[in-house]
Amino acid sequence: MEPCLENVKAIRRSKEEKKLLRKQIKASHTLLKHEGISTVSKPTKSLVVANGGLGNGVSREQLQVVLGEGGDVETLIMHPHKPYALVTYRTEVSAQRGHVLLNGRQLQCGDQVVTLYLSYVDTVDSESGVCAVLPPGLVLVEEFVSLEEEALLLDAIDWKSHDEEVTVQKALKHRRVKHYGYEFRYDNNNVDKDKPLPGGLPQACVFVLERCVRDRHVKVMPDQLTVNQYQAGQGIPPHVDTHSAFEEPILSLSLGAKTVMDFRHPDGRSVAVVLPGRSLLVMKGESRYLWTHGITPRKFDVVPACDPESPVAVTSDFSNHSNLTLSRRGTRTSLTFRNVRRTPCDCAHPSACDSQQAPPSPPSLPRSQTDACRLEAEYVHSVYEEIAGHFSSTRHSPWPRVCHFLSSLEPGSIVADVGCGNGKYLGVNPEVFAMGCDRSCALVQICSERGFQAFVSDALSVPLRSDICDACISIAVIHHLSTQERRQAAVEELVRLLRPGGRALIYVWALEQEYNKQRSKYLKETREQAPPGNSTDDHNQETKVNSTDDHNQETRVKLSVHTNRTAFNSQDLLVPWHLKDGGIKKGGRVSKMTKDPPIDTKSPVLAPCPVFHRFYHVFQQGELEELCARITGVMVQCSYHDQGNWCVILEKTRDR
Amino acid sequence: MCICILYLNVLSRISGSQATEVKVSEVEFNPNFVSRMIPKLEWSALVQAADGLGHLQDLPTELIADYEANEDFLRKVHRVLLEVEVLEGCLQCPESGREFPITRGVPNMLLNEEEA
Repeated sequence: MEPCLENVKAIRRSKEEKKLLRKQIKASHTLLKHEGISTVSKPTKSLVVANGGLGNGVSREQLQVVLGEGGDVETLIMHPHKPYALVTYRTEVSAQRGHVLLNGRQLQCGDQVVTLYLSYVDTVDSESGVCAVLPPGLVLVEEFVSLEEEALLLDAIDWKSHDEEVTVQKALKHRRVKHYGYEFRYDNNNVDKDKPLPGGLPQACVFVLERCVRDRHVKVMPDQLTVNQYQAGQGIPPHVDTHSAFEEPILSLSLGAKTVMDFRHPDGRSVAVVLPGRSLLVMKGESRYLWTHGITPRKFDVVPACDPESPVAVTSDFSNHSNLTLSRRGTRTSLTFRNVRRTPCDCAHPSACDSQQAPPSPPSLPRSQTDACRLEAEYVHSVYEEIAGHFSSTRHSPWPRVCHFLSSLEPGSIVADVGCGNGKYLGVNPEVFAMGCDRSCALVQICSERGFQAFVSDALSVPLRSDICDACISIAVIHHLSTQERRQAAVEELVRLLRPGGRALIYVWALEQEYNKQRSKYLKETREQAPPGNSTDDHNQETKVNSTDDHNQETRVKLSVHTNRTAFNSQDLLVPWHLKDGGIKKGGRVSKMTKDPPIDTKSPVLAPCPVFHRFYHVFQQGELEELCARITGVMVQCSYHDQGNWCVILEKTRDR
Repeated sequence: MCICILYLNVLSRISGSQATEVKVSEVEFNPNFVSRMIPKLEWSALVQAADGLGHLQDLPTELIADYEANEDFLRKVHRVLLEVEVLEGCLQCPESGREFPITRGVPNMLLNEEEA
């Protein structure tokens, strides 16, 4: 008779059984404490298999075989780095049999032994994640060269060559590297454009380049080649290839074993891309200029399990944890073809660009529409595009008084949120029809993904009919406009949208962060919470105080850079935003990136923690009401200070 | 971008050939909500937009009287207003002909500096 471990009646247990039970219970406590998995005592179809995870070095194939002893397995979920697996059997009976047979079972995984402990859990849903999308501009072409061609190419690279004229072989700390065409220098992370290497690119590679041109992956034949050879356990730290050194695209041909390359966006998003042997990776646009790429030094990668029917694995579907397994690395050789750049880089990603990094002069307050548009383009719009993901993650709690305004609207009202950001307020009152618009495509996309109605537009030119809205809100938007005229125009636009009798709620950042002796939340949060490197960047910045009276200025007023979480000392300023560190996370801690360029990379990430500056005009007490008073046909219903903001509620009068 | 936004816009022309991906999903029917929206709509623009997308079906070309009590009618409006979405396509200004793309459900209504 098989013992049922959940039986509460006292039965004689052997010493080993008691020990096993203790260990099983300990394992389930650990899972609850560290992973939030709660086990149940009543049998179900689903079990958690402690120690049976990809994180322990247990492969899917191995675990599947063992679990199969209990019966038919419906789903097996193995998260990439977790020390457990979640299995759902087709029937409860199978689950019980699996439990009895496998609880305490030892598995040989490589050179270690793991002991599995099984406990029941409430039935698990297999995750339906959004399929990870390749970074913009990235294309992977599989089977770009044949097996014979691969062998020819590998043969053509002579690592033992002592012909110094043709190649410059560097014995770097980890992987092996060879350059052709132009030498890439690791001391300044750039190419010596005046000293081409004799011999050019190897003859054996010509067919590859011709194929790339023929297939329209590149227009001009590349003139630089870097060959990297990685043994299992070797990698390359994350980096962006120096903008000023090379054009786009960058073509990388993988030979030998497959590997996983990690792409990271400055906002923290990361995509893991499997690069099979004989595949060509084409990096253009964002994937070349903005996202870092790197290969983590590992002996195993977690990859999507191959469907036996289709031998080629999906390149980037890591979101589906019921389909992952381990792949042992072998020796991989990459041939990276690039075009040396002759003119300064003028890409759309100045934050990562060494050609564009330092603007010729610090920004100043604009005196014309064109200047204003340019300033806002650089210090508002492009910043929000870059930081959208991180920004959205910090904007999750709607402010109560804004919610109150929205909730007090009549059901069926039409509400426009101008400058809606990540859509924080669009869902607050489900009884109204809310539409959001924002200048940032990336933020509007987030709204759309959340199921909200939103479109991309400028706050000064909203493509909605006049008199259509019962209410409008504009929360923390108008302070990004860099002239008084533009700020007023923004409010006029809100008024245009309102029907007579409709109301608008406007919030702008206040110069006075302390009000009625209450310090705002912005000031209250302590400096320890600010990311590292916060104030050191600001040491050398201009601290000239801006005068609000522009008429008497002869010289351009320079914009000062604000130190976060302190009182404002000027009304027009640049406020830093520190993007979350995009470094490799090891054991939960984010590894620090040093300012010294790493020796063995193609090119460094230029800023350890990217800092973006956003333009703000913070409002003085009374300034917002004064602005509204200049607009005909509106009435300020009330004004107040809320958490470091000046706020007004405007009403469009019925007789205009 | 659901269809009712499209005609709230100043720009209201959208044709089937320009909408390359339209999605119809189920949205909970709320007759009061639909009733309140109707007076705010430009009816002919709505009809034109729905027709352009090939989703006119049996939506009346003229607004009927006493629609608040007419559940059948309200359901037809509900479908077109809230359930038909344009995922890929473009909006065209009937005056200038200028096109504004809709990508992944999001219209981009930005004008260039010269156009503004």
